[in-house]
Amino acid sequence: MKIGLEIHIQLPTRTKLFCSCSTAGDEVNSSVCPICLGFPGSRPMLNRRALEMGASIAKFLNCEITDKVWFSRKTYFYPDLAKNYQITQYETPLGRNGHFMVGDRRIGIWEAHIEEDPGRIKRAGRAGEEVALVDYNRSGVPLVEIVTAPDLTSPEEARAFLSDLLIELRHLVGLSPQDETTVRADGNISVGEERVEIKNINGLRNIERALKFEVKRQSRLLAAGKKIVRETRRFDEELGTTLPSREKEFEEDYGYIGEPDLGTFVIGPMARAMELPETPLARASRLEREHGVAAASARQMVLTSWELADMFEVLASRFGGETATTWTLGPLASHWKELQERHGDRLGSNVVPIIEQVRAGRITDAEARMRLDVLAGREAAPAATPAAEGDLEQLVARLVDSHPEVVKDYRTNPRAANFLIGQVMKETQGRYASKEVSDMIRKELEKRV
Amino acid sequence: MNGAELAAAVRRADGGHQVFAERLEDPIAYEGAHAFHFSAKDNLCSIDFQTRSGSRILEGYRPPFDATAIERLRKAGGLLIGKTNMDEFGFGSFSANSAIGVPRNPFDRERCCGGSSGGAAAAASLIEGHLAVGVSTGGSISCPASFCGVVGLTPTYGRVSRWGLIDYGTSLDKVGLLSASSAPIRRYLPVISGPDALDPTSQTQPPLDMSGGVDSVAVPEEMLADLSDDMRDAFQGAVGKLEGMGVEVRKVAMPALRYALPAYYILATAEASTNMARYCGMRYGDIVEDTDLGFNELFSSVRSRDLGSETKRRILLGTFCRMVGLRDRYYIKALQVRQLVIRQYEEVFRDADAVLTPTMPYVAPRFDEIEKMTALEAYHADILTVPPNLAGLPHISLPCAYIGGMPAGMQLVAPHWEEGRLLSLAERWENELQYRIPEGRA
Repeated sequence: MKIGLEIHIQLPTRTKLFCSCSTAGDEVNSSVCPICLGFPGSRPMLNRRALEMGASIAKFLNCEITDKVWFSRKTYFYPDLAKNYQITQYETPLGRNGHFMVGDRRIGIWEAHIEEDPGRIKRAGRAGEEVALVDYNRSGVPLVEIVTAPDLTSPEEARAFLSDLLIELRHLVGLSPQDETTVRADGNISVGEERVEIKNINGLRNIERALKFEVKRQSRLLAAGKKIVRETRRFDEELGTTLPSREKEFEEDYGYIGEPDLGTFVIGPMARAMELPETPLARASRLEREHGVAAASARQMVLTSWELADMFEVLASRFGGETATTWTLGPLASHWKELQERHGDRLGSNVVPIIEQVRAGRITDAEARMRLDVLAGREAAPAATPAAEGDLEQLVARLVDSHPEVVKDYRTNPRAANFLIGQVMKETQGRYASKEVSDMIRKELEKRV
Repeated sequence: MNGAELAAAVRRADGGHQVFAERLEDPIAYEGAHAFHFSAKDNLCSIDFQTRSGSRILEGYRPPFDATAIERLRKAGGLLIGKTNMDEFGFGSFSANSAIGVPRNPFDRERCCGGSSGGAAAAASLIEGHLAVGVSTGGSISCPASFCGVVGLTPTYGRVSRWGLIDYGTSLDKVGLLSASSAPIRRYLPVISGPDALDPTSQTQPPLDMSGGVDSVAVPEEMLADLSDDMRDAFQGAVGKLEGMGVEVRKVAMPALRYALPAYYILATAEASTNMARYCGMRYGDIVEDTDLGFNELFSSVRSRDLGSETKRRILLGTFCRMVGLRDRYYIKALQVRQLVIRQYEEVFRDADAVLTPTMPYVAPRFDEIEKMTALEAYHADILTVPPNLAGLPHISLPCAYIGGMPAGMQLVAPHWEEGRLLSLAERWENELQYRIPEGRA
């Protein structure tokens, strides 16, 4: 099975791609101007921030960056398209021939380019008297289109690919929080020889659903000895099925020509100079590699919070990967929000000494956990902590006195002390470090031997 | 002229020659303080006039903004007196393809004004002291300037902001000026020129330099082949006058120019066919059709009814040239030819300050002659004006002779950004030749 995706993701710029209208218009047709409405005599101006974001995405996807880029007009008639052409990139996408890793699977990226979004059609009115209205708030909003090679081998993998891609891009350029529902994709899928295109599917979940349905449909046809027809289909979200697309009876000819108003942009040097931040999944792989963390644990850390992974790295550099993982994913992760809110940047300097004391055997794990709870503001500090030296001494003396048989045994078998150590630990609920307790007990026993 | 006289001149020009698509009607509007009066071609957006670009599909369209050229002239104290008639969206060489009004030649009402800035040239000719803002894509300033006996300057592509100019061929459109003599153009070109944040292609221009002149011109021989005999004689006479002024005249070969015309019509119509796409009934053009039609049928119906036949021809031509399988053969090839033409001019400019030809192969034709022309014959009229337009080079048309009472023009082409040289020569030329004033002007 082969699946290729054409993915459209909104770039999180403040203003639109070719005008200064806000991308955050809420009331219908409130964020529009002569440019994004395509008034005669208006012309586009490029939002440089969108170009930079697009270039950074192309670079992140390991694409060969096109040195000099320009824009093209993709002409087709549709009621939501203000000019009846879309300004996009045709001959010169920002980047070509890249790849993206999903786990250890390398998914080819054919190209990445930026383009403007059309408006949005909204249907209103009673059934039978329905009218279609156009909201142009979305007209001119910048999108990045990422086209994959048909390297995906299942709907599940397609979803995992998209999900991972969004995780990385969210960190790279700061996508909108709704990206998983607003991401749009066209899916090309072939179970047998012939490929079927499913146009304009919305959201991660629906993309997987549509592909799954299509796999089932094509498999059934093939099993029945029928042929798959090469065609364009659409996904009906309510029915959960794909249907032949009525509007596409023939291959559309977009008649691409250059967009003269915008000119050309040399992006090669800009892209080369760009230093990309480390993205979450790339970081997870590094943690795996550098500190021997299990893949799932590394992923959990970076996805819980970027700063949690920072904490892990601080701990790992002092205590090694294993200890750091235990503490990070255990007590630290469980109260992470509170710990961060209360301590912010000073958190590391508060946590490190606690773990140091555990490692030195001065306190028990349980006590360390309690101290972390205190840091998180979860529990009031136990009144008896730290207990006075004398309290332990009295308790130990009392216990040794009431167990003469242990004192007797101890003469021939030093391990007999373990019973008393257990008793003390139980009674003090771990308030004392086990080393401290065992030292004290041995001291008391020696006195009586 | 005082306000009342100006109002009367405008009314006379419009009444006798159908110059305006819309104009100031009330004489009171002409009173008051203004430094000068100007008109704008109807494809330049203006706040207080309809802007229809000669088309029925823009009937009633009132833009919410002024074109930058208009805005700058108003700021300089100019009074916009009206919008001048033109071929629909600029598609024509005679201003006869208009849904609003066909302007008539100031020297002979039975003849055309040229196109597509025909109304602009007629206004420049008929109204004393008038400055007409025109637009050229493939010769739409030079041609009517030549036919109406006025000076028409087309600046370098990118010199004047196209914000507010309703596109024909976006990579070719240039806003320029027409006037009865060169002085107003010299004065107001600096006003409308210069970078504009609203037009990215205007932002990389060097400053306007008005100091240079033209000491030598190159005449491409092969471009003179299709001239009428009287036009050839008139042109030779002008060349003689230039030599008399001390301008060195050299014959050159520019073989690449013969490919300019087909390349131009491919690029211009390809771009036009996308620029026209927005006029589909959604927001421009009345929908009288049943809205239950599918959008394709609805759009086709509105466009079929509200666009003129030449407009439809150019949409079809342009769409054809950018289709899959044909695009490389036509559109891409035409882009290559454009580079070839630019290089050819660059070579010639190494030894000459300007390239000189007649502006049009003949004087303004009569409307009955135009009716008999095939589309191809009409396109062929642009053979001399298209090359500098395709190359984005500044050029000027100056009256150079009168043939049977009708003006004929010569066209000088200068290197990119050197409009100043052309205007200097125009000023000197006006000492050699007294331009005629049509009887229609009071």
